[in-house]
Amino acid sequence: MIHVQHLTKAYGAFRAVDDLSFTVAPGEVVGLIGPNGAGKTSTLRCIVGIHAPTAGTVTVGGCDIVAQPVDAKRRIAFMADEPQLFEYLTVMEHLRLTARLYRVGDVEARAKTLLDELQLAGKEHALPGELSRGMKQKVAIACGLLHDPQALLFDEPLTGLDPLGIRHMKETIVSRGRRGGAVIVSSHLLHLVEEICTRIVIIDHGVKIADGTLEELKARPDLAAAGSSLEQIFLTATARES
Amino acid sequence: MFWTFLYVTRCSMTNRLRRRAQRLREPRYLLGLIVGAAYMYLMLFRRGVWRPLGTAGGAMPAQLAGPMQLLGSLFLLVTAAIVWVVPGAGKPITFTRPEVQFFFTAPVTRRELLHYKLLRSQVGILISSTIVTLVMRPATLASGWMFVVGLWIVLAAVRLHLMGVALSRSGLAQHGRSALRRQWLPLAVAMGAVSIVAATVLREWPALSAMPDFETVFPELERLSQTGAAAVVLWPFRALVRLPLSPSPAAFFANFPAAFGIVALNYVWVLRADSAFEEASAEHAERQVRNPRAPRPVARGAASAPFRLAPEGRAETAILWKNLILLGRYASLRTLVAFLPVLIIFGIAAQTEGSRGITRVVATMALPLAVMAVLLGPQAMRNDLRQDLAQLALLKTWPVSGATMIRGQVLAPAVVVTAIAWLLLIVGALFGGSLRAGSTENALFLRERVSYLVAAAMLVPPLVLSQTIVQNGLAVMFPAWVAIGSSRSRGIDAMGQRLLLMAANLLALLLAALPGAIVGGGAAFAVYALTGTIPIVIPALLAAVVVLAECWAATELLGRVLDRTDVSAVDAAES
Repeated sequence: MIHVQHLTKAYGAFRAVDDLSFTVAPGEVVGLIGPNGAGKTSTLRCIVGIHAPTAGTVTVGGCDIVAQPVDAKRRIAFMADEPQLFEYLTVMEHLRLTARLYRVGDVEARAKTLLDELQLAGKEHALPGELSRGMKQKVAIACGLLHDPQALLFDEPLTGLDPLGIRHMKETIVSRGRRGGAVIVSSHLLHLVEEICTRIVIIDHGVKIADGTLEELKARPDLAAAGSSLEQIFLTATARES
Repeated sequence: MFWTFLYVTRCSMTNRLRRRAQRLREPRYLLGLIVGAAYMYLMLFRRGVWRPLGTAGGAMPAQLAGPMQLLGSLFLLVTAAIVWVVPGAGKPITFTRPEVQFFFTAPVTRRELLHYKLLRSQVGILISSTIVTLVMRPATLASGWMFVVGLWIVLAAVRLHLMGVALSRSGLAQHGRSALRRQWLPLAVAMGAVSIVAATVLREWPALSAMPDFETVFPELERLSQTGAAAVVLWPFRALVRLPLSPSPAAFFANFPAAFGIVALNYVWVLRADSAFEEASAEHAERQVRNPRAPRPVARGAASAPFRLAPEGRAETAILWKNLILLGRYASLRTLVAFLPVLIIFGIAAQTEGSRGITRVVATMALPLAVMAVLLGPQAMRNDLRQDLAQLALLKTWPVSGATMIRGQVLAPAVVVTAIAWLLLIVGALFGGSLRAGSTENALFLRERVSYLVAAAMLVPPLVLSQTIVQNGLAVMFPAWVAIGSSRSRGIDAMGQRLLLMAANLLALLLAALPGAIVGGGAAFAVYALTGTIPIVIPALLAAVVVLAECWAATELLGRVLDRTDVSAVDAAES
């Protein structure tokens, strides 16, 4: 579903992402992890079309994000770490706008289901300024899920959520994967990645340093001594690279 | 603690200046500085370009000093009254989030915090006083320093008074409804003071209205303001205004104690204001960080959207819908208040013409206002990409092409400005018939009013749209030059940048209008050659079609640029 091939993103002389390649198949939940400044957010932003890749290609559902951006974006939902909402639109207006942009016909019914699922019922007429950070995050997620995307990208999805919200978020990510969505989760919360991801990609300095299931990573000769937890594997892998 | 605060103030100023100097390494700021400095030089120092008040190189003429004092004191009186009448009109003490973080948790007293904010505000007041003095250009150095210091004291008094009002209000609010009711006392005093002055003028109105010109009216108004109850009411305001207008150093020092006393009284009032202002300031700082200009909350069940957005249809309509909502959520009573001076001038003009003159005034003002709306509206109405570029990362995830995005974005301001211009044109056409018989305007309007109206109405949308596209095009092609969202860069270099952009906008408008004008003009010439008359609607229609076609092509080109625009190209303005 998501194919990232030889992706490079440079800001001037600085290469945030350097020749990165990986794929995410339908039904997979891939954890994209790395230290601060590793290039995780740049990678996600290139995949969803916010940044233009300096080199390489990204295709989503067979559509190139540069050559066919509209078709590719119609298949994607991106949940940024900081919820991006229009301060002057209410929750319901955000959903209606999203529905029109993504051509979702039964917006009212879908919106109601999503708002109930995300405990936003009763907040339909609230402006973002009247919502807590966690609720804004949920509104952004509702907008992202409204068009039933085939590819979902989450950047630090648990930030600002309460315990119940965290549980719901984890369930949402896992269920989207089970329903055939290709999911990428970027997070520093390694226990979350370990818990919900079917595969893990570790990057550092923009370069991929590990890619596989947790079992495959544990079995790698260079990481075998690290231990059994993802945290130990991550620290060993990134320490060696730096 | 005073020295600590002085240190923070000095460091902030030095670092801001250093940052502005550093950004001059970028050509856009250097070019902006050159243009801005040239503009300032022409405005302030080139005597041949702009003449100051008075004929002797800027010295305040004696005959102007009286009216200036009167108008100044009346202005201060009305300001002092308005801040009590209009909710939220006082100027609260505001702290930035870092100030709240560092100072509110530090062992600093409330009084010291107040002193800190007063100290910081003096810098801005002094700069404002100096700029105003430079604009007024006093003839001598002596009159220059008197004006700077005098104006500084006036502005300091105003600032302190606004602070006092805001503190008193929040103090009363914190003590509940019963305390808030006590606000009637200052409110009554303020309204009473204004009423006394108004009653004095009304009592003498027959005599004043009979006077032939302002040269006789003003001395009489001055006499009235210095006698009876009006003199008592206006005394503190006059005492303040008199200081910067002092004709000599001796007069300045004679006026100084009274003006300084008023500042001191306001200072004591602010210090004694019973208010836990820290909480309000902290909340305000948080609000500023979250959203400096919060939209009005939406009433449940209210018709808050301009129209119902169907789930299916063009993406442009969705963006138009969104941007019209933006306008509706921010437009408020305050927006209307901004137009109040225009309405007052209009009302006065209508009254002086008598009841029969009202329609004439309407007709005379509607057409220039329509032209102004067409020329200035697209610059002022910013509910488009100029607002949305701050959220470019979000826009980039939408499944719409750049061209669709541009077309959707420019529609909202174009629709609103066009509607305003059309309304003014219709008003002008309707009332145009009442123009004085025999005048050129009358002859034109009576014969061809409808066709002129239709022709103008057809030209308005393409002209407005082309300008809106130019404005948005500048934002797309030079995002670092344009103010994005509600932020504004400051400094002479930023002012120079804005001047350059304005010139670029005018040039682009001329270039956009030229093909339409050629086609329209050619058609008019051809029709005239064939028939001997010019049916103005046909050339206008052709010109409009040509400019609209240009607009479409421009959105396609700009769309490609937007598709290639990287989010990192849109940087934040100086806070």
